[in-house]
Amino acid sequence: MTTATIRGIAATTTHAPSTLDEAQALLVAAAAAQQTVAFVGGSTELGFGYAPTRVDVLIDTTKLDRVIEYQPADMVVEVEAGVTLAALQAHLAPHGQRLALDAPDPKRATIGGLVSTNAFGPLRARFGSMRDLIVGVSFIRADGARVRGGGKVVKNVAGFDLPKLAVGSLGSLAMIATVTLRLHPLAQAALGVDATLSADDIAKVVRESFRVQLEPAMLVASRQDSGDYRLTAVFEGFDSGAREQRERFLELGRTFDASIRANDDAVAHVAARDYGARCAGDVRVRIAMPPAEFARAERDVVGPLVRAFADVVNDGAEPSQTIAYPSLGIVFVAGTLRHDASADRANIASGRVADAIVAARRAAEVRGGNLVVTHCDDAVVSERVDVYGTLPPSFALMRGLKDRFDPEHRLNPGRFLGKL
Amino acid sequence: MHEREALGVKVSTVPTLEVTALERDLATAVGQRNCITDPSGLSTYECDGLTGTRIRPRAVVLPETTEQVAAAVRVARAHGMAVVPRGAGTGLSGGALPVDGCLLVVLSRMTKILTVDLENRRMRVQPGVINLDVTKMIAPHGYYYAPDPSSQSVCTIGGNIAENSGGAHCLKYGFTVNHVVAATVVLADGSVVEIGANAVDPLGYDLIAAVVGSEGMVGIVTEAVVRILRVPELTRTFFATFPSTDEAGACVSAIVSAGIVPAAVEMIDSLAIEAIVKSTGVDWPLDVGAALLMDVDGTKAEVEHTAAAAVEIARNAGAIEIRTPKDAAERLLMWKGRKGAFAAMGRISPNYYVQDGVIPRSQISKVLREIASAGATQGLRVANVFHAGDGNLHPLVLYDARVPGEAHRAEIVAGEILSICLRAGGSITGEHGVGTDKAKYMGKMFTDDDLESMNFVRCTFDPQRAFNPGKVFPTPRLCGDIPGHFHAHPTELAGTAARG
Ligand SMILES: Cc1cc2nc3c(=O)[nH]c(=O)nc-3n(C[C@H](O)[C@H](O)[C@H](O)COP(=O)(O)OP(=O)(O)OC[C@H]3O[C@@H](n4cnc5c(N)ncnc54)[C@H](O)[C@@H]3O)c2cc1C
Repeated sequence: MTTATIRGIAATTTHAPSTLDEAQALLVAAAAAQQTVAFVGGSTELGFGYAPTRVDVLIDTTKLDRVIEYQPADMVVEVEAGVTLAALQAHLAPHGQRLALDAPDPKRATIGGLVSTNAFGPLRARFGSMRDLIVGVSFIRADGARVRGGGKVVKNVAGFDLPKLAVGSLGSLAMIATVTLRLHPLAQAALGVDATLSADDIAKVVRESFRVQLEPAMLVASRQDSGDYRLTAVFEGFDSGAREQRERFLELGRTFDASIRANDDAVAHVAARDYGARCAGDVRVRIAMPPAEFARAERDVVGPLVRAFADVVNDGAEPSQTIAYPSLGIVFVAGTLRHDASADRANIASGRVADAIVAARRAAEVRGGNLVVTHCDDAVVSERVDVYGTLPPSFALMRGLKDRFDPEHRLNPGRFLGKL
Repeated sequence: MHEREALGVKVSTVPTLEVTALERDLATAVGQRNCITDPSGLSTYECDGLTGTRIRPRAVVLPETTEQVAAAVRVARAHGMAVVPRGAGTGLSGGALPVDGCLLVVLSRMTKILTVDLENRRMRVQPGVINLDVTKMIAPHGYYYAPDPSSQSVCTIGGNIAENSGGAHCLKYGFTVNHVVAATVVLADGSVVEIGANAVDPLGYDLIAAVVGSEGMVGIVTEAVVRILRVPELTRTFFATFPSTDEAGACVSAIVSAGIVPAAVEMIDSLAIEAIVKSTGVDWPLDVGAALLMDVDGTKAEVEHTAAAAVEIARNAGAIEIRTPKDAAERLLMWKGRKGAFAAMGRISPNYYVQDGVIPRSQISKVLREIASAGATQGLRVANVFHAGDGNLHPLVLYDARVPGEAHRAEIVAGEILSICLRAGGSITGEHGVGTDKAKYMGKMFTDDDLESMNFVRCTFDPQRAFNPGKVFPTPRLCGDIPGHFHAHPTELAGTAARG
């Protein structure tokens, strides 16, 4: 069984139901006893959100791991929430299919968890995030009712879109019991290119690749200590198509970086770097901005934050990792604060990082974006930096949704935006 | 009894004096020239694309700004009127059908394109902008707006948002919900709220998904930010004919299982071909059982590979003839034939009833046979022209309203078609929406608890149920203050509350 604490709050009891009926019974019992309930899947994103106010019952979903229905000809699969991403992909691959979602840590991450955090990986450049792949959901509600939304066909407008409401809801509306997903064919080829470029040039290359109608499946850039980025583009498709796209991208990139080169292991390299900047480090943030702002984001948002991490570490240890999805306007920064120094020095270091995050958030919000602290093990930073930042103008409606689905605020209480 | 009595507002006969007060208030809200209250003016707005049912609204306004929409909504609230939003009125499920005594808010004068941001691939538009005008605006720069309902030259972005409209090319590119990132919405109390964001992943719950597809029941969208896409480098189209829908259906499955994701695959059966040929003059053969019209798009080498592979698959699947357009004009003509299919039905039948059920793609052949026999049982023909790639059927039940009983029999067949789709594991609607037309079938697809959860969303936005009451939900649904497990409201048990 997985961890029984969420952000330092210990659960009074932990259960790992192995059927949906058992899970429902737990929620019915919790409703009768007025107990609070939280959910945990692979524990990959437990650091996300505020600490819950109280957890009477923790439901571990990892034993809800059945593939309920898979018709390869329809390219749709329905699974229980605890199926891991890796297990699902292994189930689909023999049929030449996949879920076009390459979120980090697939062996641990569960589909339910990926839905509740609107997960994505580098393939988002082409296929979108979980939001774009989900077609159906079933919930177990706070009152114990089992409900469904959407369906098992890819196109469906009957009724309100409950599946997308589940996406990104962080277990605060209902327990996600089953999920139905749209699938894609496995690509015959996935060919990569590496180049090292300034943030300005990254922006230009991205723009130019759009102009010449290339369709990269992945476009990610990891920040180097110099402030330049290592850009990796991956082109998918049938052999001839992927090859032609790569040739054209190499040609386009050569004007900016003479050392640009093909990389046949790009997919694995990208996954490793993505993991490093998103799943390691004790303070992690995700920044979203309009994509055209990328060069400015490096100057005003990312650069200062990375330097703050670097300033507090003097022994050459890698202070932070940054990965950007420049075509989407997303940047992840993960840093490590070394606290073997005296308590005073450690506090000062954490304070500097906290200030830098607050400043970066302001710069992102001014440009219509946001900065979310996705994980934080540092007490000073936690205290000084809010998880989400400024509440959106539509927050009253969000509170209304929470009040209707979970009127007693018993599900993951306090964890979501606005401490809902 | 009336919906509005459940709201605690009594209206039924409307004394002249009150109309005058209403007229005055509406004129203040939106300006005299944007108000319609005379019977002949109102009669234009008695129905949408579902022309069988007509209800005259009490008043119509055609606001030009967000502030005017908000002011009109406040007037409706003060007068205890329901509000029904309307775009171009092309909806096929009665979504914009007025409800008794309502204020109809028509967005067709809000046609400004507010911003075009090519670099971030976003456009901000007013809701009355015609779908195709979005693409026309950016086409010179090589961009387009992906959702392409066949009605795209007349329907509005606001209507598309409310219905989560799709189109042939949504197979590869997704539906309206995948292409709207932010919106300005006027709520029932007349307040204005911004939802979503230009940047990806706005904080909190996905309110865009709550508004897109809400069929005018949560608020009025007065501005929307849509994603725009770069035009693909190459599109290859082909048109293939088959002895019957069985071979055509098998061809679609074979293409998809070969790992090809076409931009669009449309199936047209022999009756639909006949109608299209008669009305548009395309030179499609009349002696075939079915045809597929297909697009593959993307980068050059990729498309050349997939197009060749798809043609090969079609041949192996038993295609009689495969045509590729010799130029852009011919390609456009092929698509014009497909997109004009509904309008063409007049050539083979005085009336038709269109359904919009969805089925798992692998069951196309079987379901089409069941549908044909459901029609035959009632002595009616059913034409089919539909989005085969995503299993979204459009069976057109042909009938003659002048023949006593035929309209009724057509409705029976239409209902049976939805049951067939549900039995196949599908949905009652893929893109046209539930509206008034299919509300009574919602209970066949969803349980009471499912519907209650959907009602939570609606009540969050509109606790008074002022917007489009009576649509989508099959049975009365109130908005309790403290929702718990579903308890029937006393007025429902007494049978006094209308569905809503
Ligand atoms: C010949 C023909 C072909 C069609 N083909 C397709 C197709 O391929 N795919 C498809 O999806 N549909 C199709 N449709 C259906 C229809 O065109 C779409 O549903 C379209 O989105 C409706 O747009 P509209 O502007 O006409 O909206 P209306 O019919 O006026 O309204 C539709 C709904 O939207 C609500 N609404 C309108 N504007 C707003 C607003 N600003 N804010 C809130 N709610 C609003 C209304 O209350 C109503 O519930 C077709 C219709 C016809 C007649």
